[in-house]
Amino acid sequence: MKKLNDLLMKNESFPLLTAMLCAAILGGSHMFITEGFGFFNEIAQAEMIRNGMETGDFATPIGYCTGFLLARILEGPLVGILDIGGSLMTGVGTGFASLFLVTGMGAIMENFVLTLIAGFVIGLILGLVIIIVKKTMPQGMAAGGTGIMMGAGNAAGRYLGPLIIIYAAKYSIPAGIGSIIGAVICQKLGKSMVGGAILGAMIVAFIFPGAAA
Amino acid sequence: MLEIIIKSMILGALGGFAAAAGAARMFHAPEIQAMGSFRGLGELNACKGDPMAHFSFGLGFLFNAAGSVIGAGALTQDVWHRIVPNWAASALLLKNKKPEETLYNPAKMAVAGAIVGAIVVAFLNSIASIIPESLSAIAAGILGPASSTMIDMIIPVLFILAALDAGKMPGMWGLALGGLSQLIMGNATPGAVLGILIGQTIQESGFNKSAKVMLVIVVILFAAIGQGRGFWANMLSFIM
Repeated sequence: MKKLNDLLMKNESFPLLTAMLCAAILGGSHMFITEGFGFFNEIAQAEMIRNGMETGDFATPIGYCTGFLLARILEGPLVGILDIGGSLMTGVGTGFASLFLVTGMGAIMENFVLTLIAGFVIGLILGLVIIIVKKTMPQGMAAGGTGIMMGAGNAAGRYLGPLIIIYAAKYSIPAGIGSIIGAVICQKLGKSMVGGAILGAMIVAFIFPGAAA
Repeated sequence: MLEIIIKSMILGALGGFAAAAGAARMFHAPEIQAMGSFRGLGELNACKGDPMAHFSFGLGFLFNAAGSVIGAGALTQDVWHRIVPNWAASALLLKNKKPEETLYNPAKMAVAGAIVGAIVVAFLNSIASIIPESLSAIAAGILGPASSTMIDMIIPVLFILAALDAGKMPGMWGLALGGLSQLIMGNATPGAVLGILIGQTIQESGFNKSAKVMLVIVVILFAAIGQGRGFWANMLSFIM
């Protein structure tokens, strides 16, 4: 334990940690692509991949995720904490997975072991880049830009709950009523309403299937 | 089913080890490069020392993750950001109340995180796998259009507005690159994000080396994606 702790308290072991986490995250994308669940990210990013698999157009996830990845890789060494949400979960788990699918390397994403290896290598490289940037940090990097982005990203998350209620209401009357009840309960409990809205819609629409729009 | 559980446990253990070790390292940042998030660090600090607080905090997000994975197949970012670090901390603090010897110790957190991760991911994926088909069809019918609206309209607008609010420079760059990326990539968000970064850098410290590097990356990105989506050929067809 002492030896492991000495290793894990070194900057040099950072690429190993990013490699392991990236392997797990890309493995989650493999689960999502093959089974339809297990994606290590939010609903919006999952829908980006699903949408891409249906239309064959992955420009949105690739563009969106590269932007986040770049921003976070620049910010990580600067502040000392790499944001694993934007960099690894969105950048690698969504961006690189889309990149593999669109460049004809989808076979990698369909094989569990290959995704683990690919994720490990990508994470190792990212970790190395971050440690190298940290050691050779150029002066005059702006950290302010990432704060603005973060604010916009967090604000975006708030829109999903109301949007789900609107689209549940468009889907069918029972779904709409269920999502309202679920969201109101979550609001009362002080929890994020997204989960309540979607679960409520699913349960009530399941009991009263009728003719969905 | 067994295959799903085994895969999930491998992923959970692998990621849990790294995410919890990264979280423990946050208490030693910036000297030691850590990973997680500032928000997560604040939350860990807020329940510091109390195993029950860490546990119930994680539990709240477990319910959220369960709803999301049943509905859309997405485990949420909270598995690595919140559930694993907080539950690993909670398990360690049960035995030893001193955060300095538990929560701040990357090795102990890594081992606890691997165990917690394996259990949590296997649990969430198994409940997602036993959900009937018709239920997920309802979820997809609602979440699909909701998130398309998010991605196509809300997020791009919010990022451009954020750029405008940040000042003249980020506003100009965010508008210009956001608009161009809508044309080239079909979505304004990536351009707006890069515009904010470049504009803010220029506003704070002038057109320096890092602004130039980012601009070169943007040009390459736009050129390559435009090529892939047939944008350049399409644009030329308006002239010729």
